[in-house]
Amino acid sequence: MKLHIKPALARDLLVLFALTGWALAIPYFGSEFMVSMALTCLMYAALASSWSLFCGTTRYLSLATAAFFGVGAYTGAILLEQIGWFGAITLGAAVAAAVAVVMGAAVLHLRGTYFAVLTFGMTELIRHAITWWEKQVTGTVGRVLAVVPERDTVYLTVLALAVAAIGVSIMVRRSRFGLAMAGIGADEQRAQTLGVNTRLVKIGGFALTAAFAGAVGAAMSARWTYIDPATVFNPFIGFQTVLIALIGGAATLWGPLIAAVVFSLLAETLRLQAPQVYMMSLGLLLILCVLYLPGGLASLRTATFGQWRDDTSQWWRERTRAGKKGAR
Amino acid sequence: MTDRNIPAGPTRRAVVQAAIAAPAALASLAFPAIVRAQAAPVRVGYTMARTGPWTTGAQVSQEPNYLLWAEAQNAAGGLNVKGVKRPIELIGSDDRSDIETCVRTYEKLMGSDKVDLILPPWGSNANFAVAPLANRFGYPLLAPTALSRRLVEMKLPYFFLMLQQPKAMMEALVDMLKANGTKTMVVVYVDDLFGLENYAALKVAVQGSGISIVEDKSYPLGIKDLSPVLRSMKDKNPDAFVGLTYPPDTILASRQSKEIGFNPKFFYASVGTAFQLYRNVMGAGAEGVLGMGSWNAKTSPGAKAYFDAHVKKFGAQKEPDRWASGATWAALEILTNAVAKAGLDRKAIRDYVAGTEHGTLLGKVRFAGSENVGTPGTVGQWQKGEFEVVWPKANATAPLLPAKPAWV
Amino acid sequence: MSFGSWLELIASGLITGGVYALVALGLNLQYGLMRVLNIAHGEFLMVGAFLTWWAHTQLGVSPLLMVPVSFVLLMALGMAIHRLTFRRLARTSPNLDVFEARGLMVSFGLMFVVQNFAQLLWGGDLRGYDFMADPVRIPGPGGGAQFAANKLLLLALALAFSTALIVVLRKTLYGKGVRALMQSPTGAQLVGIDTTRLHPLMFGIGLGLSGVAGCLLSMTYTISPSMGEPYTVTALIVITLGGFGSMAGALAAGLALGVIEAVGMHFTSPSLKSLLSYGIFIAVLLWRPNGLFARK
Repeated sequence: MKLHIKPALARDLLVLFALTGWALAIPYFGSEFMVSMALTCLMYAALASSWSLFCGTTRYLSLATAAFFGVGAYTGAILLEQIGWFGAITLGAAVAAAVAVVMGAAVLHLRGTYFAVLTFGMTELIRHAITWWEKQVTGTVGRVLAVVPERDTVYLTVLALAVAAIGVSIMVRRSRFGLAMAGIGADEQRAQTLGVNTRLVKIGGFALTAAFAGAVGAAMSARWTYIDPATVFNPFIGFQTVLIALIGGAATLWGPLIAAVVFSLLAETLRLQAPQVYMMSLGLLLILCVLYLPGGLASLRTATFGQWRDDTSQWWRERTRAGKKGAR
Repeated sequence: MTDRNIPAGPTRRAVVQAAIAAPAALASLAFPAIVRAQAAPVRVGYTMARTGPWTTGAQVSQEPNYLLWAEAQNAAGGLNVKGVKRPIELIGSDDRSDIETCVRTYEKLMGSDKVDLILPPWGSNANFAVAPLANRFGYPLLAPTALSRRLVEMKLPYFFLMLQQPKAMMEALVDMLKANGTKTMVVVYVDDLFGLENYAALKVAVQGSGISIVEDKSYPLGIKDLSPVLRSMKDKNPDAFVGLTYPPDTILASRQSKEIGFNPKFFYASVGTAFQLYRNVMGAGAEGVLGMGSWNAKTSPGAKAYFDAHVKKFGAQKEPDRWASGATWAALEILTNAVAKAGLDRKAIRDYVAGTEHGTLLGKVRFAGSENVGTPGTVGQWQKGEFEVVWPKANATAPLLPAKPAWV
Repeated sequence: MSFGSWLELIASGLITGGVYALVALGLNLQYGLMRVLNIAHGEFLMVGAFLTWWAHTQLGVSPLLMVPVSFVLLMALGMAIHRLTFRRLARTSPNLDVFEARGLMVSFGLMFVVQNFAQLLWGGDLRGYDFMADPVRIPGPGGGAQFAANKLLLLALALAFSTALIVVLRKTLYGKGVRALMQSPTGAQLVGIDTTRLHPLMFGIGLGLSGVAGCLLSMTYTISPSMGEPYTVTALIVITLGGFGSMAGALAAGLALGVIEAVGMHFTSPSLKSLLSYGIFIAVLLWRPNGLFARK
């Protein structure tokens, strides 16, 4: 059977292939600092791409990334010695997906702000629950990873996860599943009347996002060598993922990746020395994006600049006109 | 046999320095070029909490001592590295009381920057995270602000805990309370490694002592209001209040106890009571308050010399605290001797630290594995503006005041 | 536990609850009226607290004076923010869902900006000052209770502001306009209520209340740039319990939550306070998304 690949698909896959090749070269030719930066880049690329896979299309804003990341990290840290590296990653993904299914079944019937706030609440609940459990039952405050894989292993794993996230995004967009999610995002009730099993689709998409976040969490726990609930369930991980995806353009394919690169650069250079400046710029950029570029960076076109120019001149005209009339 | 009679660190160091200085001075006259070329700095890296909840503790007990040490050594020509004096270059940064920042910075210091020596961060939590890392990179770490059985159990050859561990401190406290007729006790503890372990040790220590714990509550770090907890404890009318707390919470507990009129016979708050800050904040109300303390300027001549030097550099408003500061200085004394003996060979430093009995301002320090078994568990008490060591009697600088007066 | 101690416990729960109610009322005003879920609300509380601390320690201004001053300053700030951000959003969003989502994101960004700006400006340490910290003895059954004077002041002022807001909303014409807008935006505009004036004003008042809460808190507790987030979360919990848009519900729920937390901490531990709060939050959101007091 002839394999028929559309040009757009070919283009996407080609770009992905090129980027992967370049990323593969870094551990062998780049400095320690470059590798560390690339690792952060890839981590957020994986997280943001998988987040926008579900949340960008269905427009259900999930703030639960940190919960899945943390669950994956803990699974990985606890079981790394017993089941080995690949086992830890896979199990991290699986456990996170399971948590997502439970959470999703309980929560996905609510929309908009309710959903966002609830996912945040659940993340914090999971964090506090695990903190309490660790303290009361296990008697620890954090966990130290005694056996740590090579830096390159972690790097290649995270690279693989990022590639997989984007690859899955490419595939899902063209599948019925992806179309169903987009339909839910456009108008959920109509999608339902058209025969889409919205509940299953939503839970499936949510679980997919969670699986990636869990896998990334398991990989990064090895990198950090010490984990405790505060570090791996840090809501900032979730916030940063959402920010990156939104600024990049949650509904686009490459937007999250572009933004991930930009922000990882900023993060690695600023976070240890001037973290406040970094976070403030994140916040400001988000506000500006939402106000003036709702589609995100990836939707920036030459036409956009024209639009801005028109908007500004119209605003200026209104002001001078109002000034002349003396009224507001 | 009191530990105080053993000549303390500075004296020995002075002798060693003099012994080295003479030939070095002669050598520098004869071979100036060689001596100058060898004066490459000794790079010492660390992170310290300069912002965030750990700051109070870190900036009283630890960082000032690092600075004082580097300055004192450099003023005397530099750190003695197996006969050669090399200036100390401190590479310190703010870890913002955040473990992740700690870990990543130490990774960078040891892994990429490859500093010569490292000094530890503040607190049991941070040390718990950094100790295995230091062990992996082979850097000896002498921690003066970490208290944890878990850390000892990890059996890390490169990690040494200067402070008396929970079992020793809690047993000392319980012995003292028992000897003074205490029957009932209430406990609050911070729910992190320090609080959890001391609480566990306390529970073990009270078994069979005739003291019963009538109420115990844990609280999260950064809590703003302990008064509901203190109120219900006041209601039980206990003989002793034991707070396994960090400096901000120690002060909070003290102030709020005053606010609600909670006046048990014995009021003990672990960390922070040994700080001058406590006396400043509580004023006359500090009288009779107990805490973790193991030395003051009366303990030994070396202790007095250190105290005076500290006050001289940082001012009378910044006295060293009567517990961890002493341990920090003792750690630096040991490190200095180790480098003098073994140079910058980190394995050799480690072996020297582990295998020798050290004389420090605190007295004898000796390690069994990671634990300092030379210093006994102690209890301190504020008396007339000074934090005296009141237990065990052998180390005491003053007798115990048997009942705390009401808060003023 | 003796009767007197129970009274003290419940009273201290009410004191904390009073603050919760004040913060929640501000948030409720913004959400109920404008469907803007301002998750940066707590940050403005923090700003109020720091302004008071700064004014008191640097300029010697009494914190009592700072109560109305913080209200006015934060109200002005709120109106400015509304003008710069939410007004544009309201104009450019195609429907309410999108507006809500975008509003959430903007307030997200604001949270980052404000908190980190404060940290940059004032550093991450705990700060505090003493104000009316002397204990006050209140006679009563079981020996009476002892509180710090500033805590009693906190309760009194929090309750005063909350009831004032509710009265204004119920009795004055402006207030009726606001409530009309909350019930039916189009209907209200049809009868001539000016949304363009009311929205920024109400947003500003919401932030102003938050600032007052911060000012009051600085008198009794230590403050730090990260103090705002827990209050935002608690405010969210409170308005969930009381019902989005219901003022009296927010007041009742705030006080109730304070008491529940105090009692809960008594039976368990302060360490479990967060777990308890989030548990209640999730439970209510799942079981009764419209709030415990909502009437259909």
